[in-house]
Amino acid sequence: MKNGAGRRINGGAEEDDDEDDVNGDLDAWERTYTDERSWESLQEDESGMLRPIDNQALYHSQYRRRLRSLSSTAARIQKGLIRYLYIVIDLSRAASEMDFRPSRIAVIAKHVETFIREFFYQNPLSQVGIVTIKDGVAHCLTDIGGSPESHINALMKKLECSGDSSLQNALDLVDGYLNQIPSYGHREVLILYSALSTCDPGDIIDTIQKCRKSKIRCSVIGLAAEMFICKHLCQETGGTYSVALDESHFKELILEHAPPPPAIAEFAVANLIKMGFPQRAAEGSISICSCHKEAKVGAGYTCPRCKARACELPTECRVCGLTLVSSPHLARSYHHLFPIAPFDEVTSSHLNNPNCKLQRNCFGCQQSLLDPGNKPGPAVVCPKCKRYFCLDCDIYIHESLHNCPGCDSLRHS
Amino acid sequence: MKFQIEDVTVYFPYDHIYPEQYSYMTELKRTLDAKGHCLLEMPSGTGKTIALLSLITSYSLSKPQSPMKLIYCTRTVHEMEKTLAELKILHNYQIKHLGPQARILAIGLSSRKNLCVNPTVVAAENRDSVDAGCRKLTASWVRALAAENPDETTCEFFENYEKAASAAVLPPGVYTLQELRAFGKEKGWCPYFLARHMVQFANVVVYSYQYLLDPKVAGIISKEMQKESVVVFDEAHNIDNVCIEALSVSVRRQTLEGATRNLSRISQEIDRFKATDASLLRAEYNRLVEGLALRGNLPITDNWLSNPALPDDILKEAVPGNIRRAEHFLHVLRRLVQYLSSRLDTENVEKESPVGFVASLSNAGIHQKTLKFCYDRLHSLMLTLEITDTDEFLHIQTICDFATLVGTYGRGFSIIIEPFDERMPHIPDPVLQLSCHDASLAIKPVFDRFQSVVITSGTLSPIDLYPRLLNFHPVVSRSFTMSLTRDCICPMVLTRGSDQLPVSTKFDMRSDPGVVRNYGKLLLEMVSVVPDGIVCFFVSYSYMDGIINTWNDSGILKEIMQHKLVFIETQDVVETTLALDNYRRACDCGRGAVFFSVARGKVAEGIDFDRHYGRLVIMIGVPFQYTLSKILLARLEYLRDTFQIKEGDFLTFDALRQAAQCVGRVIRSKADYGMMIFADKRYSRHDKRSKLPNWILSHLQDANLNLSTDMALHIAREFLKKMAQPYDKTGSSDKKTLLSQEELEKLGDGSMHEMSY
Repeated sequence: MKNGAGRRINGGAEEDDDEDDVNGDLDAWERTYTDERSWESLQEDESGMLRPIDNQALYHSQYRRRLRSLSSTAARIQKGLIRYLYIVIDLSRAASEMDFRPSRIAVIAKHVETFIREFFYQNPLSQVGIVTIKDGVAHCLTDIGGSPESHINALMKKLECSGDSSLQNALDLVDGYLNQIPSYGHREVLILYSALSTCDPGDIIDTIQKCRKSKIRCSVIGLAAEMFICKHLCQETGGTYSVALDESHFKELILEHAPPPPAIAEFAVANLIKMGFPQRAAEGSISICSCHKEAKVGAGYTCPRCKARACELPTECRVCGLTLVSSPHLARSYHHLFPIAPFDEVTSSHLNNPNCKLQRNCFGCQQSLLDPGNKPGPAVVCPKCKRYFCLDCDIYIHESLHNCPGCDSLRHS
Repeated sequence: MKFQIEDVTVYFPYDHIYPEQYSYMTELKRTLDAKGHCLLEMPSGTGKTIALLSLITSYSLSKPQSPMKLIYCTRTVHEMEKTLAELKILHNYQIKHLGPQARILAIGLSSRKNLCVNPTVVAAENRDSVDAGCRKLTASWVRALAAENPDETTCEFFENYEKAASAAVLPPGVYTLQELRAFGKEKGWCPYFLARHMVQFANVVVYSYQYLLDPKVAGIISKEMQKESVVVFDEAHNIDNVCIEALSVSVRRQTLEGATRNLSRISQEIDRFKATDASLLRAEYNRLVEGLALRGNLPITDNWLSNPALPDDILKEAVPGNIRRAEHFLHVLRRLVQYLSSRLDTENVEKESPVGFVASLSNAGIHQKTLKFCYDRLHSLMLTLEITDTDEFLHIQTICDFATLVGTYGRGFSIIIEPFDERMPHIPDPVLQLSCHDASLAIKPVFDRFQSVVITSGTLSPIDLYPRLLNFHPVVSRSFTMSLTRDCICPMVLTRGSDQLPVSTKFDMRSDPGVVRNYGKLLLEMVSVVPDGIVCFFVSYSYMDGIINTWNDSGILKEIMQHKLVFIETQDVVETTLALDNYRRACDCGRGAVFFSVARGKVAEGIDFDRHYGRLVIMIGVPFQYTLSKILLARLEYLRDTFQIKEGDFLTFDALRQAAQCVGRVIRSKADYGMMIFADKRYSRHDKRSKLPNWILSHLQDANLNLSTDMALHIAREFLKKMAQPYDKTGSSDKKTLLSQEELEKLGDGSMHEMSY
């Protein structure tokens, strides 16, 4: 019996050797499959069936860690709600690589679009500008402003990539622009960096120190690998540095920059800002719009100070420069200041405990918290109301709802 | 933290400990209990040094009735300073917990060049001239002269040290070389002689390998070390080569010319002495009749390098009659030099055993016994003649070295005369080499004299070969792996280029343009996906020159430079240092750089490419030694006949330990990460691969054993992305990599053991 098994193993080894030789001259069609390695995204479960690799648990644990690290430092801290953010997009040669499908730059553009929309949704009082790096030079694509559409349109028109990338040029340019920002605004740069090197005209370390002095918070999202200089930049200026694994991870990382970061201590002084709450113009009234410079019918907002018409809110009045917002915008910024505490993880023994039989279901979606095999699945508990939630609800509550259903229902009853 | 290992309380200065450090200490403690020798392999970056120091000091603290001395040997001065700095942290911690009874004296000892504080002496450019400069000021006759004539200069630091006499002691504490110099300056005592004096009393001595292994130095420095000492050789993977070098001598044409000059100078001196003070020469003659046991009563400054042969092999007899008179001795030396230069005139390569060589020398009228005494006789003569500028007399010293070794040893050596370097056959450069083949000769006295010898390094695989090479029986020989929170090293074996043709630096393949192009393509692809620094090791300087030239002609180099700057190691130390410096700057500022280096070169041995200075190391080819070298062939033959080590086994072992050294440069701590590419099809063979250290092998997945360039590229991309993600440093609950005191106690002895296996 044993001998037979041994022989089979030996036989297998020989076969392997033969295969290796054959491998040397693969046909072209076979080679495309070796590139793809689609089989690597499958794994075997306990019963030997194939299933896609379960990234859910991994992502969730990462998400929880982030949540915890945020809340540990951010216990009741001031947040910068009025942000001036420059998005720096690297359009060097490396951005045209195809390791993200269809290409890095297409993926970047797609998610920058969602990011800009999400950003304005979460930070109605903030403004964005776009800078691109191409052929070793940094260009300002759009000036800093509050209209998502104009940024997105401008970006979509210019997506050709070539040449080297220069971090220093980009930082210098952005530093020059952000220095003119009023002191209550929070200066931020988000760099989407594809290249793995930077060709600079001078000493980048000096530039980083300059950014640090002018209190610009620089964050970098890399698309290929960790670079020392980017890490250094983020450490020095208090930003975050992350590298995207794949497209969905990239989306996650870029959206992480949408909620406002904690304010830098030196800026944490109270400041009064003048704002206008414009009225919506009557339906059917015709007026010349100050942003598009053409006559429009209905559905506009009138600046309370100079009576100019604006198409969208929030914005800055083109005529008198007043910040125009609506009250829901302010309310939407509010939850950043009072986040709900992260939920605690529940150990499986706790869930099995007959004493708390009541909470076999998620309080949010009413789905059972037990696995198909009647074993307890992963669950979290709100530290205040002690209700149990499933992982999906956990993410939904913290990222979209910003209210705990358990606590709110307690308050009502 | 404080914890028990069996009956010893270990004081460890940090709050957390790695599990492998704990098992390392356990093994070490067993060795000390057994009073035997051991071999321990543990990857760099896991805190070997502190584990060693804290266990051995704690061990001797727990057994106050039998105090133990620790002799710690390092390769470089830089490592010496690092070790002493670690010891300082440990010492402070122990004093905090134990009070003054934990006080120890720990010093580092180095050459005068590193310790001298006399500004006029230390200004000299190399070690030998500093030594000579010191002798000029401190030799006994110079000082005697100065006592009579105040115009004669002496070294004030040494004078003060002598004046203080027995009061000149170091208070207990840990002294780095820097602090020793500072202390000497403050007190006005010579730090070098103070350190040499204090070595006998210190609890911990840190110095270089030579002080124990080279009989010339060991004879005067390490003579009085007690038997109850623990000797540690750190980074000892090349210890056999150090042993061999300590007993090998090579003589060139310049050496012989220099020796002739030295001889005529000595003969002038003799004439001068005869005319002025013949009594000195006569006194020397009488002393020689009584025997050479004169070293004990010499003043410390006149002490010179001692006999190159090992202490057991030196005869305790009177010097033979025919060289007792100075003129006669000079005649013998002249004849010896003449004979050697006639041997150098040969046209062919000659190989001879020492026995045969001595026999043919007897025909020339010089007998074996005479040869044996050459070195001591020369030493005595130079003292008598009051010669202080010893650096001028290096050539004749080399000749006498050679003579004594040839006269003393019949086995384990051979004499090889080569009329030219094989790689450059048209340039005549005759060299006569006495090469030692047996590493166990030099280290034998160390094993015999001391209670425990610990040989440790990051790469000692295969661990069973070292006991055979060094001819000893370790009580413990273990290899530890690194416990990691994530797979932060990614070794790969690349066997094929992107066109699927095999790549190798095998002799018949290395100049194949396809192979050269494939290596170039590999580098080019890697340069575009790896950030910051890449190090690329070649098998030899000539191969590197060739391949870089080809790359330059075919434009590959230019394409590489679009992504990263290129720096090259040369044989010139200054140039290489400059290149390294700029390489680091390019990595720092984000430009990225590639460093081309050579296995067995200076960079491969001593320079770390940790963190962003080395994200990837490519080992192009298998770094075999130059197998046509006569010395290597002779050594292989000797190893086969004496220790039954097959030639192939030794060559592979030697090549693989060099390769492991090269790639090991990228990982210097657990938080670090890096990739290693072994680019040669021969690495995929089991007999080669299995000789890599365990900690690399355990991360070498089967899937990565037979890669082509495009597959390697894919793996590199994935790996770098994975490593860039944030991670938890202490490890998850089931896979602990950092243990606090409570966890250590909780785990207890039994389960700790399972973890380490």
